[in-house]
Amino acid sequence: MIQITREERHWFLEIAARALIDHIGAAEPPVPVEEILDHPPDVYQEDFGVVDMYSNLWDATFARPPGQRGSIFVRVDLPAKERRLALARETLSAMITSKHGRDLGLPDLLMSELKDSAEYFASFLLAPYAFVQAFRAQGGSEELFGELFQLPAAVAEARW
Amino acid sequence: MSMQALNQLVARSIIDPGVVQAFRAGRIGEVLDELGFTTDLRAQLSGIESDSWAEFAVISYRYVKSAEAQAPRLQFPSPVEGLLATQAQADQEQVA
Repeated sequence: MIQITREERHWFLEIAARALIDHIGAAEPPVPVEEILDHPPDVYQEDFGVVDMYSNLWDATFARPPGQRGSIFVRVDLPAKERRLALARETLSAMITSKHGRDLGLPDLLMSELKDSAEYFASFLLAPYAFVQAFRAQGGSEELFGELFQLPAAVAEARW
Repeated sequence: MSMQALNQLVARSIIDPGVVQAFRAGRIGEVLDELGFTTDLRAQLSGIESDSWAEFAVISYRYVKSAEAQAPRLQFPSPVEGLLATQAQADQEQVA
């Protein structure tokens, strides 16, 4: 794999997030993350499961048990905004490790910077550039931004 | 325009296995024809040699970004020049 810059990786992640948003037909915030996972593109049918778990160790993690559908195991008691972020973040792991993701070459592109990639992907899945621009153009305020887009405070601050 | 076309291509590849299948079969040119790339860029992108689709996408991004940076911007005449030209023409008509 060629060396790629952070900017190039971020460009790719932003487009990948946009592809999922376009697939579900979302036209305004909040982006329906759980709906994307419930009705994924055909190529991710075996990868976008969600399993609620009781755990104190992590908020969410993606796993692919042998011979079974890949699923995001998410803590059942997470606040709604934190749950959306955790699911959005782990969606990238589901994509990277899927058959289609491997066919695309996503592991070589993204695995070495997985944490940064997952956080960047999640922030653009929850707050895509076009939605943020439209919200600003309509005079939306920073205070309303996090509420309308259903973002945890840290993500709202970073994307504003 | 070409960056928009590349974004469409990469977004499509994320959810449509047909793109990577065409790439692997050496038929990516047919997919590029469906999008709004310039003739030069289309030729450049068709000639990219890469180990994976993701690598192809990143190299394509470099080509498109470079091409858009070098593309001449639309040059409109300055409003002042326009007035001067009109003035000059009016002067000539007056002399005639």
